[in-house]
Amino acid sequence: MIEMALEIIVMIKQVPDSSEVVIDPVTFTLNRGAARNVINPADENAVEQALRIKDKNPDTHITVITMGPPFAESALLDCMARGVDRGILVTDRAFAGADTYPTGLTLAATITKIGKFDIIFAGEESTDSSTGHVGPGVAEFLGIEQASYTSNSWVEDGKVYAERQLEDGVETVRMEPPCLITVLTNSNIPRNATLRMKIDAMKRGIETWTLNDIGLKPEWVGLKGSPTIVKSMKSIQEKKREGKKFTPDQMDDFVNELVSKGILKLGGE
Amino acid sequence: MSEFDVIVVGAGPAGASAAIRLASNKVNVLLVDRADPPGSKNVSGGVLWGDSLGQVIPDWEKSNMLERYVEAKGVTFLTKDSKISIDFRSKKFGEYKSGYTVLRTKFDAWLAKKAKDAGAMVASGVTVDKIAMKDGKAIGVEQAGETITSDAVILAEGANSRIAYDSGLKKKPTDEKIALGVKEVIKLPEKTITERFNLTSPKMGFASEYVLGFLDGGVKAGGFLYTNKESISIGAVISMGDLRKNNQTYSFNVIEQFKDHPFIAPLIQDGRVEEYSAHLVPEGGMSVDSVYGNGYMIAGDTAGFTFSNGLVLQGMNYAIVSGIVAADSFMEKKGKGSDMNFANYGENLAKTFVMKDMKNFSGIDRVTWSETIHNTIPAIAEDAMLNIFSEDGNPKKHLSQIVLSSALKHKDKRKDLAVDLYRMIRRL
Repeated sequence: MIEMALEIIVMIKQVPDSSEVVIDPVTFTLNRGAARNVINPADENAVEQALRIKDKNPDTHITVITMGPPFAESALLDCMARGVDRGILVTDRAFAGADTYPTGLTLAATITKIGKFDIIFAGEESTDSSTGHVGPGVAEFLGIEQASYTSNSWVEDGKVYAERQLEDGVETVRMEPPCLITVLTNSNIPRNATLRMKIDAMKRGIETWTLNDIGLKPEWVGLKGSPTIVKSMKSIQEKKREGKKFTPDQMDDFVNELVSKGILKLGGE
Repeated sequence: MSEFDVIVVGAGPAGASAAIRLASNKVNVLLVDRADPPGSKNVSGGVLWGDSLGQVIPDWEKSNMLERYVEAKGVTFLTKDSKISIDFRSKKFGEYKSGYTVLRTKFDAWLAKKAKDAGAMVASGVTVDKIAMKDGKAIGVEQAGETITSDAVILAEGANSRIAYDSGLKKKPTDEKIALGVKEVIKLPEKTITERFNLTSPKMGFASEYVLGFLDGGVKAGGFLYTNKESISIGAVISMGDLRKNNQTYSFNVIEQFKDHPFIAPLIQDGRVEEYSAHLVPEGGMSVDSVYGNGYMIAGDTAGFTFSNGLVLQGMNYAIVSGIVAADSFMEKKGKGSDMNFANYGENLAKTFVMKDMKNFSGIDRVTWSETIHNTIPAIAEDAMLNIFSEDGNPKKHLSQIVLSSALKHKDKRKDLAVDLYRMIRRL
């Protein structure tokens, strides 16, 4: 049974804007250099879901956490400007190269350090790796119940309800807090922050924690703590496209060209 | 007491320079921009002329945000079949400052970061609704029904001056006072660019302005082509009046015609369009009745501080200087118990090249957008060049005869030509 003063934690990740990431035509690696950094889209929906619960239960206190480089501060401030109460950046060189296992462990340790919580929200997956591991992983590390791929959730009579979008319908689950919920991309429309809220968020600022603060050993985190080994990576080569210009009076040529290339088939008797 | 000493609206060169200057002098400043990252909705052709930025960022020339230093400057007339150009290259562009090509999305975000590092609060991704006024004095800005207070507001929101219009500080521009700029950034290898433009090193660049005297429907537009490290910025600035008059004119069509021109296409061949953008371009100099008032100052494009005479297009240098002068004018008043009516901004600005150029070259837009520049001169020059540089077995004529006979061929334009030439000589 939870009291009305809910403690919610939202886990977010800063990712390169997927619409701006380009594949280097020579090395076939992702060139993230040009892309700006944004909050992972599903995480924005997770934050919004938490804020909607706070709208109904004003005593709710929301903390947003992320593991990432120092410039991920801007993502936390963005969430705080929308109405999140506290932002914690967990950053340390030791975290570099982490796969989903130590990432989940690091976040779980951070949450343990925070202490009391009723609901943890996370996006269903991140646009830059799309594993969907981290949210469920954290629930396993913490040994709590979880509902994944949800489109809506709410609190009623001390229980947490969540709607899961399944292939053949919607499943509504009821959980005892504390629990973890992962939120589907586009499941809601995230609110915008006003200038006043942005200023207040910047004045409040974020907290920065390091490996020492969360009590994990260096060999458990980052690349060292990652069981995944990428053996090789292949890129799909894009088909080379041809272009040819036709003016409106060359429509016959245009159609003939399409037919000769097998793109268009002429019907008829 | 106000929440901030100064609120700067708009993180372009004007706003960011003002914020850097203020924050470096321990002034409590808020810089607001509608884009996130700040400045990422800003567009310009892309040459930063002069060295005004050194006043706020002393080591700016060491920044990797600068693309190439302009060692080759072109001015070109294009007709349907010909290209007539000046291609000025000089080793003396070391002692005589030219400019650096820049890519604004990167460059402006860097400027905003400099402001943040200097101690300014930078709020991005939020659009200010208007300047908050009380008893005829600016007391801050309004956003989403809330007022954020400050002792002064520096308005540097750019060419599309929505806040200035809504706050009654500027009249909506007539078609003569605004043009539409369209631009593409075309990716090419660094080496290809250096070779294609005959540049002396990968650090050196080419920048040219073009008169596009060949466009469908006689639409008047100027073109530009600037080399970046690994891309080319190419675009056109199109007369708003012509766009409105001629419903068949589309901005994308103009830039396509420019790119397809027989002497432009080889320069961008095999390039991949990486970015396209469009933006309003202020024309014809100062566009506000007053650049200051009680509690506010107007800087950069919002005030119409741009310069174009067909040979050069400039704006960022004027923006930077006006932003810095606005910041300094605030500091002159700060803590002295004086009023916040910034007549001193007007006076300080009048001493700089910004206001001097605005004054000396007022009305030059009538020349740059004239039929003479766009059609008559290119046509006469083409005729003359073909005569001079071809050999048809006839005796050679004097240059004056050639030009005269070309001019006679285009005699319908002769009167305009005389008037425009007079204007040109007076103003150039």
